[in-house]
Amino acid sequence: MKLLLVEDEPALRSTLIESLRQSGYVVEVAPDFVQAYEKIRLYRYDCVLLDLTLPGGNGLDLLRALKAENPAAGVLILTARDTLEDRVAGLDLGADDYLVKPFHLSELNARLRAIIRRRQFQGQHHIVFRDLLVWPERAEVLVHGESVALTRKEYDLLLYLLANPGRVLTKEAIAEHLCGDAVDTADTFDFIYTHLKNLRKKLQEKGADNYIRTMYGVGYKLSGE
Amino acid sequence: MKLLAATNRYYLGLVAVLFALASGALYYGVNAALRHEVDEQLGLHKRQIAALVQAGQPLVSTPFADQFVVSARPRRLGLTDTILRDNNEHTWVPHRQLTFRLQAQGQPRWVTLRKSLVETNDLLAVVLGIMLAVLVVLMLSVLLLNRWLSVRLWRQFYHTLDALRRYDLQQHRPLALPRPRIEEFAELNLAVTHLSERLVADYENLREFTANAAHETQTPLAIMQAQLEQLLQVSALSENPTAAPLLADLYGATRRLSRLHQALGLLSKIENRQFAKAQPLDLAAVLDEKVDQLAPLLEARGLQLHRHLEQALVLAMHPGLADSLLHNLLYNAIKHNQPGGDITVRLSAEALEISNPGPAIEGDPSRFFERFRKHHAATESPGLGLSIVQQIGAYYGFAVTYCYAAAGQRHTLRVAFRPAAA
Repeated sequence: MKLLLVEDEPALRSTLIESLRQSGYVVEVAPDFVQAYEKIRLYRYDCVLLDLTLPGGNGLDLLRALKAENPAAGVLILTARDTLEDRVAGLDLGADDYLVKPFHLSELNARLRAIIRRRQFQGQHHIVFRDLLVWPERAEVLVHGESVALTRKEYDLLLYLLANPGRVLTKEAIAEHLCGDAVDTADTFDFIYTHLKNLRKKLQEKGADNYIRTMYGVGYKLSGE
Repeated sequence: MKLLAATNRYYLGLVAVLFALASGALYYGVNAALRHEVDEQLGLHKRQIAALVQAGQPLVSTPFADQFVVSARPRRLGLTDTILRDNNEHTWVPHRQLTFRLQAQGQPRWVTLRKSLVETNDLLAVVLGIMLAVLVVLMLSVLLLNRWLSVRLWRQFYHTLDALRRYDLQQHRPLALPRPRIEEFAELNLAVTHLSERLVADYENLREFTANAAHETQTPLAIMQAQLEQLLQVSALSENPTAAPLLADLYGATRRLSRLHQALGLLSKIENRQFAKAQPLDLAAVLDEKVDQLAPLLEARGLQLHRHLEQALVLAMHPGLADSLLHNLLYNAIKHNQPGGDITVRLSAEALEISNPGPAIEGDPSRFFERFRKHHAATESPGLGLSIVQQIGAYYGFAVTYCYAAAGQRHTLRVAFRPAAA
C-alpha cells in the first residue's frame, strides 16, 4: 500500500510517517503544495493524506488535480480547520473521509483501513487475525469458522482493534471512536470497559484466545503474539 | 423625571412667585396711587369752597347730599375712611372723606367732603384680573412650547438614545449617527460615534487574537498528541508501571486541552456569527443520531431514554450547531444523572425539553450557563456545555431555561423555539 502524506508541519509529519510505516504502509511525503502537485502528477498512490492549509496553495485545489489524474486513489483530509463548509467542499470534491487535528493515530489507521478496503477490494475483503475471520461488508465475525453475534458497538470496537493490531489504543481514542468526538469526562470511560468485557467474553465462548490485552492505566492492545 | 418636566417645574415655580409678588406690588401701588389722587381732589375741593366762602358766598347745599355735608356741631377733622349705605343700589359703598372747619357768615361750620371709592376698586379688580389671565396664558404657552420643543428639538437626542439602545457590538459596525444642527447633540453624537468605533476596533482585535490563538495552539497540540501516542507504542514504556500511567495522563490532558480549544473556538464562532448557512433540519432525526452515538454511555450507566416526539419538527438551523446543541443537552443529562435514572426528551413544535433526575444543585440557576461553570470543581469537563447551548439558543432566538422540580427531583432544560415574548 503506497500512501502520499501531504503535511507542512515537520514534527507532525515525522510522527505520522513513523506511525504509518509501523502499520505497514509505504509512505512518501510532500511538505508543500508544489511538491505534492508534482508527486500526484508523476506517481500513483493508493491513498493520499491531505492537509488543507498548505504553503503555496489550497489543499482543495490539490484534491481537484488528484481526482483528475487518478480517480481511483483514496483521499483522507487532515485539517485543523473544523468547518462544515470545508468538510462538505472536501467530500463533494471526492475525498473519502475527513479528520480534524488533533486526531488519534489509531483513528487515522481505522479510517485508512476503511478507505482502502472500499477502494481496493470493492468491499470483497476479509480480515484474518489469528483464529478470527471478519467479513466487513457483511459485518460477520467468525471464530474457528463459527459465527459470533456481536452488538453494533462491540463490532465497531473489534474492527477498530483489528485496524490497529499490535498498537496500544488509548481509552480516549476508543471512547471517541465509539461515541463521536465530544466524550470528555474521565468517568465515562467505564463504558469502554463494559464493552470490552462483553466482546472478550463472546469471543472466548467460541474458543478464541484472549488477545485483547489491557494496558493498565493506558488502554488496550490487540496482541499479535 | 424628564429633563423637560424638571425645567418646566422650576420655570413655572419662578413665574408663579414673580407673578404673586408683582400682583401684590401692583395692587398696593395702584391702590395707593388712586387714594392719593382721591385725597388730592378732596383737598382741591376744600380749597375751592374755602375760597368761595372767604369771598362771602353762602354755603349752599348740593343735590349730592352724600358728598357735601355741612354741620353746625364740631366733627373730627382730617382725612378718614368711611362706609355709607347707597339706598339706590342697597349696598355699602366705601368713601373717603375730608372734614374741615369754616367761618361762614361769622358762624363756625364743619364741612365734610366725600368721594366714593367704588371706581377705584373696580379699576383694581380689572388690573389684577388681566394680570392673572396673562399669567395663566403665559404658563400654558410655556408648557405647550416645551412640549413642542421636546418633540422637535429633542428628537435628535432620542434618536441617539435609541441607536445606543439597539447597538449590538456583534454586528461589528460602529454607530452611524447623523450630525444635528444643535451643537450639544452634535457633540454627543460625535463622542458616541468615536466610542463605538473604538469598541469595534478593540473587539475586532480581541476576536482575531482569540481565533488565531486557538488555531495556532491546535498544531502544537496535534504534534504533542501524535508523538505521545507514538511514545505509548514503545513497549518498554507502555509496559512500565511507572511510565505508562504518566504517559496516559499526559495524553488525556492533551486531549482535554484540545477539546477545550474546540469548545472555545465554537463559542467564538457562534458569537462572530460565522454560521450563516441555515438549512431545514429535522430535529428528531438529529436527535436519533445523537442518541445512537451516545448509546454506549447510556448503556454503561443503566440510563433509560424516553422520547416523546409530538410531531415532525423542521427548523432552519446550521447542521453543526443543531448537532452541538443536542449533544450538549444530552451529554449534560447523562453527566448529571444518577445511576439507573432516566432521561426524558420531549420534542414539540414549541420547545425541546430534556429532563433527568438528580439531587438539587446548589447555586444560582442563572449562573449554570456561565462559562467554566462546573458542578464539581474537580471534574475534567471544562464546563462549557451549557454556555454553548445558551449561545446557540441566543443565536437562533431560542429561549433556554433551566428549572428544578424539588418534588420529583428532576432537572429540566427547556429550549423554547418561539419565545413567548416574540
